[in-house]
Amino acid sequence: MSVLGFALLAALVLAGALVVVLSENVVHAAVALAFTFFFVAGLYVLLGSPMLAVIQFAVNAAAIPILTIFIIMTTQSRRVRPASGAFYLIATVLAGAFLFGLWGFLGAPQTAFRAVSPEGLGARLLSVTLLPFEVASVLLLLAMVGAIVLARRLEK
Amino acid sequence: MITLGHFLALSAVLFAIGLFGVLTRRNLIAVLMSVEILLNAAALAFAAAAAYKDPVFFAGQLFALFIIVVAAAELSIGFAILLLVSRHSGSVSTDVVEEMRG
Repeated sequence: MSVLGFALLAALVLAGALVVVLSENVVHAAVALAFTFFFVAGLYVLLGSPMLAVIQFAVNAAAIPILTIFIIMTTQSRRVRPASGAFYLIATVLAGAFLFGLWGFLGAPQTAFRAVSPEGLGARLLSVTLLPFEVASVLLLLAMVGAIVLARRLEK
Repeated sequence: MITLGHFLALSAVLFAIGLFGVLTRRNLIAVLMSVEILLNAAALAFAAAAAYKDPVFFAGQLFALFIIVVAAAELSIGFAILLLVSRHSGSVSTDVVEEMRG
């Protein structure tokens, strides 16, 4: 795994995430979200798990930003009012404290990663985690029906 | 050589950025997008830990898959509720969501 590729992908992911968080135009933020998730899929490829990369690309980098842009257009809320300075200060302090607290856990020992084949992942998915897999499919069905019921226009 | 620490550091920074977004955004759509960043940071940490530490069961990668599924479900319901809020009060700012009764 090349250090240069990781550094490039990491920089692009962080830049995209910063645009998502800071942009005043929500459409720009949604497009940046698509790029961020696309580069996270690239990180999964670097990590040797192409299955996860494909799913990340199809669901998070393609479907979710399109849905987001669709909702932005429907609700006509392209521009956002920025929060007050106190909010930014509090949020920066909290996020910084979170990072500082987590930094102690990062001294992981040096081991090599192992590629995860799609066949292996699929076999595990349908044997070890068969019950969660079925529950997830029911959850997706429930979410779909729930979204339709919630967003439906009531006839008066 | 890239170690597990690099991936965990990247996902920690990504999580902190998402946390900042959740705390500062006033548009509910932008808040949901920041939550998506949070969930992706967690999924990345799980997947990296599985690739480095768990060569037999890849449990973390399965976790990452389920995180993606749950995030999609959460987002669809969240957007449906947001559509209701926008229809009810004409705006999707956090300022208008002050009461639970419709």
